[in-house]
Amino acid sequence: MSAPVARLSVPKLPNAGWRITSILTAIAVFVVLHVFALRGTDFEVAALVTGAEGMASFLADAFPPDLDWEGVLAPALKATTVTLWIGLLGTTLSIPSALLLAVFASRTTTPHRAVYQLSRAVLSFFRAVPDIVFALIFVTAVGLGPFAGVLALICHNTGVMGKLWAESMEEADNGPQQALSTAGASRLQQVTHAALPMVLGQFVGLLLYRFDVNVRSSLVLGLVGAGGIGLLINQSIKSFRFDAMATQIIVVLVLIILVDQLSSFIRRKLEV
Amino acid sequence: MTTLHLPVPRLAEATVPGEPILEVEHLTKSFGGRTVLDGVGFTLARGSVVAFLGANGSGKSTTLKCVMGLETPEAGSIKLAGTELSALRGTELARARSSVAMVFQKIHLVPRRTALENVCAGALGRLGGPASISPMFFPRELKEEAMAALARVGMADRAHEKAGRLSGGQAQRVAVARALCQRASVLLADEPVSALDPRAAEEVMALLAELAHEENLAVAAVLHQPDLALRHADTVIGLIDGRIEYSGDISGLDASMQARLYTPNRAAA
Repeated sequence: MSAPVARLSVPKLPNAGWRITSILTAIAVFVVLHVFALRGTDFEVAALVTGAEGMASFLADAFPPDLDWEGVLAPALKATTVTLWIGLLGTTLSIPSALLLAVFASRTTTPHRAVYQLSRAVLSFFRAVPDIVFALIFVTAVGLGPFAGVLALICHNTGVMGKLWAESMEEADNGPQQALSTAGASRLQQVTHAALPMVLGQFVGLLLYRFDVNVRSSLVLGLVGAGGIGLLINQSIKSFRFDAMATQIIVVLVLIILVDQLSSFIRRKLEV
Repeated sequence: MTTLHLPVPRLAEATVPGEPILEVEHLTKSFGGRTVLDGVGFTLARGSVVAFLGANGSGKSTTLKCVMGLETPEAGSIKLAGTELSALRGTELARARSSVAMVFQKIHLVPRRTALENVCAGALGRLGGPASISPMFFPRELKEEAMAALARVGMADRAHEKAGRLSGGQAQRVAVARALCQRASVLLADEPVSALDPRAAEEVMALLAELAHEENLAVAAVLHQPDLALRHADTVIGLIDGRIEYSGDISGLDASMQARLYTPNRAAA
């Protein structure tokens, strides 16, 4: 026989009743919100079932995809390259503005409380206005075409990337910055020699993530006339060329998978 | 016109060992109603190592932080080379403070940068203009001075190693080299060896003592191990609840004094 196992009664959790009440309340709030959301969006599974026929005929028209090189595939590839360029420029050309605003909008590096608040407000504005709205504005300014798309992405991406960068700077260890501050370094020197090198890895990771997102966004921007493959997809749908549309979507899919693989490969390399 | 390149004289060479460089009097500081420093005063002299000992919360680190300007004392006077710091403002204060360098428990090097670049950063306070924005533009003289500082701490062979790849002891020696590159005459070390293994701790403390005695620096180190103080410090300041309990020669740090400094739950007793 083994020795008897020692046991001790578990003391009651303090506030057990309050914990249960708060969990139940949270669940109730969650359910009520979803009821409102389902109603507000006319969410009806029945409509999907009755409409299945329309979807089937749409898909039937789309397959097999039209792989005609001259008429469909070559223009699709060319336009997809433009989409890629829009995404690339929209990301890289927003680096200076995002960097400046991020440094001003991070508590650890901002020169003044007022500058911090102002930069946060500017970032919020660029983030809150969707890139598609920026695209519509720039299309009226510079006309239809990829240039409007690049400008739209620069604006929106400045807001998102600036915010992400500012957050990562606030979370980073500010010890080295403090060390340089005690050594008499100026604020700009502290930023360039401690704050920024401390977050360089995260910055590049976030930049690649944004590139990934921006390539996908530039696709949607094409729908409102900002160039690239989105424009061609829009034209195919409007002229009921669903088989051409299928080809264009496949090309886009390949591009997105490639960009995704490339950026996650580089991010993995950076982590090591 | 010819430019004369004269060797920059090290401050240390022009001064006499034992000369008081930092004089602190009646330092008082409280956090949220709790008095952390209650009239702390001491003098640091060139060429010697002072160990600050005391239990957690006794005010050792706060004392150094007040001197460094990382905390603002409510009362008291801090004189650096005879100049009262509270009378200075802005750039004058920064210039005066730059003769004091700090070494941290968490070392605080930039891991992505090389040892040499981290050491060069110690000189940023006296390096102005666009040349100070990136290590790429650091002048050759600065890099050579930083190399000499690395050699002084025995890390010259690792100059181009990323700081993040160094061991704790090596990194702390690089941090000391950064303080040398700052051309400081006072070195304040806040628990410089608390995160290091015993052997590395011994090496870093030996280095600090060597720099005090050979380069004529004034070194103050907050320590948690009385035996390290016994081996490397010249004088000791023992704090209890923000007051100086003992200040004097290291020989006074006997067993009964150590027991007194580290009596647990003094507030409750």
